[in-house]
Amino acid sequence: MKLIACTEGHSGKIEAFSLEMIAAARSLTQADDEVVAFFAGRDAEGASACLGAADRLIVARSTRSDVIPAETYALLLRDVIIAESPGLVLVPYSANGLDVAADIAARTGWPLISYVNEIKRLGENLTIVAQMYGGKILAECEVRLPAVLMINPGAFAAAAPAPIAPVNVQTIDAEPVLTSGKVKMVAIDMPDYADVDLTTADRIVCVGRGIGDEASIDLARNLATMLGAEIAGSRPVVDNGWLPKLRQVGKSGQKVKPKLYLALGVSGAPEHLEGMSQADLIIAVNTDPKAPIFNVAHYGATCDLFDLVANLSDRLRAGSGR
Amino acid sequence: MNILVVLRMIPDSAGELQLAEDGRGIDREWLDFQLNDFDDHALEEAILLKEASGAKVTVVAVGEGANRVLQMAAARGADEVVALQSEEDAMISSREIAASIAAMARAKSVDLVLCGVQSTEDVFGQLAPYVGALLDWPHVSGTNRIVANGAVLRVTQERGAGVAVTYELATPAVLGVQTASKAPRYVSGSKLREASKTPIGRATPELSGFELTAEIITLRLPVQGGSGENLGGNAETVADRLVTILAAKGLARN
Ligand SMILES: Cc1cc2nc3c(=O)[nH]c(=O)nc-3n(C[C@H](O)[C@H](O)[C@H](O)COP(=O)(O)OP(=O)(O)OC[C@H]3O[C@@H](n4cnc5c(N)ncnc54)[C@H](O)[C@@H]3O)c2cc1C
Repeated sequence: MKLIACTEGHSGKIEAFSLEMIAAARSLTQADDEVVAFFAGRDAEGASACLGAADRLIVARSTRSDVIPAETYALLLRDVIIAESPGLVLVPYSANGLDVAADIAARTGWPLISYVNEIKRLGENLTIVAQMYGGKILAECEVRLPAVLMINPGAFAAAAPAPIAPVNVQTIDAEPVLTSGKVKMVAIDMPDYADVDLTTADRIVCVGRGIGDEASIDLARNLATMLGAEIAGSRPVVDNGWLPKLRQVGKSGQKVKPKLYLALGVSGAPEHLEGMSQADLIIAVNTDPKAPIFNVAHYGATCDLFDLVANLSDRLRAGSGR
Repeated sequence: MNILVVLRMIPDSAGELQLAEDGRGIDREWLDFQLNDFDDHALEEAILLKEASGAKVTVVAVGEGANRVLQMAAARGADEVVALQSEEDAMISSREIAASIAAMARAKSVDLVLCGVQSTEDVFGQLAPYVGALLDWPHVSGTNRIVANGAVLRVTQERGAGVAVTYELATPAVLGVQTASKAPRYVSGSKLREASKTPIGRATPELSGFELTAEIITLRLPVQGGSGENLGGNAETVADRLVTILAAKGLARN
């Protein structure tokens, strides 16, 4: 059987989760199975240089466009599926993957399971553990191959980056499909880190929706200043306009790895954890003892965040005056 | 332009979730049902498009409490509201409702379908790409800005790490909204009362055309706690402990 691992990259960078998709596929192979990595975009060389954990690589190469719209990616992938008849297609849960997985499932008629954390294979059957309700419930699912799975970034340890032998790389021209595609990319805006770059921050105090309102952010900001930390927020905090977008941590925000991550009133949805679970020291404060943030925290407290901020600020202030 | 907005009512998962007796679902008896956050943003984006360019907005809602949320949609400016009949006590799977939404989009000569980018109850995939693929219309998800210029849409999508990509596509199209261009508006009680007279249409679901599908065998709660240390619930003790921990790691001071 062939297993297709979908990979991604743009602006000269192959996304780290690409190597996780290959590892996930590899973990399911039997006897003569083959892991085929699929890449669409401009950086064919970058893909060949690092996706060597796959047996083969199929690159749908574009000469112009740095970002391939998901729909075009899905159409290119569908052609590969027709040509290769794989038994399984693994798609990352990314901005692109969100659109690709269901599109491919609809166009092939195959079943799809999303937010997958674990997979076990027994011949033509898979048992899968997937996340629901923001990580509060795990669903054990069963599916018969062929199937499409959308995999959570971080669920599988990445395969080692290595070059792939040129004989194992097949290049197809993405331009005709891109040109006739109904979705055209017109602009790509890269972040301007002049204000803050959380990815290089040593210490971060992150506030979640539990902070309640914009005015209360100042309490956390003062605590951050005392700790020499940057202030950051979860998605709802940023969506509410209480903090600028570059201060958002998570899937659609920044991926951070500070020495200290203090999470105040953050529930720990999978999309948030994706941005911060690699921090060296995670301290979480949340009144709900079942909040998923406690699954990654090194220290957890179930007190009210406002009480904690007040108490901690007092002690740090007293300490610095000594 | 005819816009169809899909609103899904989902259990409030902020509180505690209990498993149903058969282990295949959650116990819905005492749960509050609320509008899927992202669908709320889809509704707002539709109303903003209507205000900017005079579209007609039809809202279809599915799940427990649909009537209430349809009245809210009418109060916010929806022109027509429809409840899609759904099985009581069942999860709302995109894979199951996609055919109904696609059929409705066709029947109502819709130019643009808007729904939230995802719902937490949906382990079988996302609605926007399903509907897009079934209709063979272009689709984009994760949008945080939609501007219409006649039949041409400019759509901005978040790609993570602060990268945003803008696409152009022509209607008919399907979009999965992440965030509306402006926060969902507040509706006053008087507007809600007025809107409560809006007649609610009924639609019967189409059979899903998908033959192969996956199955949920059982649900379980994740093992709690990880390997972290619980510092308890007393803010004073927690603060004392944290000062010690931070000091020991050289992180206590600026
Ligand atoms: C494609 C996609 C991308 C996403 N990207 C991101 C992302 O980059 N970053 C991100 O964060 N999210 C992202 N999300 C959203 C994510 O799914 C969650 O909705 C979000 O992380 C929830 O934020 P929160 O924890 O602050 O809010 P909530 O889930 O509302 O949690 C608030 C928490 O605060 C606690 N609380 C309330 N009051 C107090 C108090 N006084 N003291 C202590 N605790 C209190 C509550 O118990 C609760 O656990 C994304 C979603 C999608 C679909």
